[in-house]
Amino acid sequence: MAAVVLCTDEFEALARAEALARGLPQLPLVTVTHPIGGTPPHSVRAKAALVVDQVIQALTTAPAVSVSGERGEEEAETLEAPTDPDGLQAWVLEQGWGDGLPILPPTPERVKALLANTGRDPDEVIAVLPPRLGEATVRTLAVNAALAGARPEHLPLIIGAVEAIADPAFNLPAVQTTTHPCSPLLIINGPLTARLGIASGTGALGPGPWANAVIGRAVRLALQNVGGARPGKEDRATLGHPGKYTYCLAENEAASPWEPLSVERGFGYGTSTVTVCASEGPHNVNDHGSITARGIVATLAGVAATSGTNNVYLEGEPLFVLGPEHARTVAGDGWSKADLKQALFAAARVPLSRFSPENLERFAALRPQWFQGASTDAAVPIAAAWEDLMVIVAGGAGKHSAFIPTFGRTRSITRRIEE
Amino acid sequence: MDVLSPCGAQSRRFKSLAPRPGGLAGRAVGILDNSKPNAGVLLAGVAELLAARAGAGPLRTWRKPASAQPAECLDEIARSVEVVLTGSAD
Repeated sequence: MAAVVLCTDEFEALARAEALARGLPQLPLVTVTHPIGGTPPHSVRAKAALVVDQVIQALTTAPAVSVSGERGEEEAETLEAPTDPDGLQAWVLEQGWGDGLPILPPTPERVKALLANTGRDPDEVIAVLPPRLGEATVRTLAVNAALAGARPEHLPLIIGAVEAIADPAFNLPAVQTTTHPCSPLLIINGPLTARLGIASGTGALGPGPWANAVIGRAVRLALQNVGGARPGKEDRATLGHPGKYTYCLAENEAASPWEPLSVERGFGYGTSTVTVCASEGPHNVNDHGSITARGIVATLAGVAATSGTNNVYLEGEPLFVLGPEHARTVAGDGWSKADLKQALFAAARVPLSRFSPENLERFAALRPQWFQGASTDAAVPIAAAWEDLMVIVAGGAGKHSAFIPTFGRTRSITRRIEE
Repeated sequence: MDVLSPCGAQSRRFKSLAPRPGGLAGRAVGILDNSKPNAGVLLAGVAELLAARAGAGPLRTWRKPASAQPAECLDEIARSVEVVLTGSAD
């Protein structure tokens, strides 16, 4: 079956990278000018007319280049880099390996030291990361950890996070290349947080905590370098968010009135876990006045019931990060975490009047039970069920919590970390 | 100084492209709509012009239920049509 792929010119580099990764660099690709989404149908049909001859050619003529059965050219494993810090930084950015922030050199000696803390075979393939389908071995993850400035004791957690992110239910191929600004948020539970000094209290999402910064950054660099999701090329995030540099915190279990996320997910209290969520940046929830659970819920729900998230039409698991003081107020009324989630699910509803007619039509195809045939004074929940809402406790003193929407077509994954 | 590459090996083998038919007259055309906004409009527009200009047809459309997940209908498409148009990204 002969195929041709159409895309807009803005996404041509991504389409070519995906074709190459699947061993089909000669897959015909025909581009139209960007955008086609959010434009009148007649203008889209006009673009179709402009490319139909190219499509006929692509479907009836063999491409000039024929490649089959051979492995792609191997990339060099060791390269010579400048020794001075500024030269090294510029060189790393030229290679496409960096994120714009200063890096440390991934010399063989530093990488060997990073590997000393794990008993795993350095050549073990932890995951194959899209869209490039690069092999993330233990050694390759150690190289990215070296770039990020991570320590040997951080490597098992970095490996565990990448394993979780590569779980098919996380949907990494979409998360890596979407225009949505999601980045894997790492939520750490258990005794590992204290051992590694992963911050869970004041300023846990930065700046400042070193372990949070370098662990999150090592994972992000691995996704970019091994997975080949280079910003502006295969990583198509329209605006992105700072969590695409690093996005990692520990749950503040000591300050939480409820069971930690890891225990909710079936792990024991003494077990260290990482949970990965494909998350937007945090939306702050300021509530200095409420003294009841219902009051806190009203404010949280007010922030969460927004028409511009992916969750409102793709569902998924939006996350509420309760600051300890808000959590104590809620728990002080005798509410469990489940009580809180049920109340949030009932209260965080987006009125249909907040959506344009075009979006109502699109969303009716995806969530017909909420959008199809509903009256304009109806309102839709931000998830499929209350059980899909996630709640953790993090942060320090102060009357702030956060609502963190997700990519939607993704499931959070929790993995035990072997220490 | 020597540094190690952070990229790792790329896990791929090159494949052969499916042969192209010499012409489209009378060839069944499939559209795999990737569910991105207006993808269906673009692909249908092209397919209709293939029918009008090159005599292709009949036309048949499949649509992914979600843009962010792989299609599950590829075998059915391959059994049903001789050429297929699809979209990538936005």
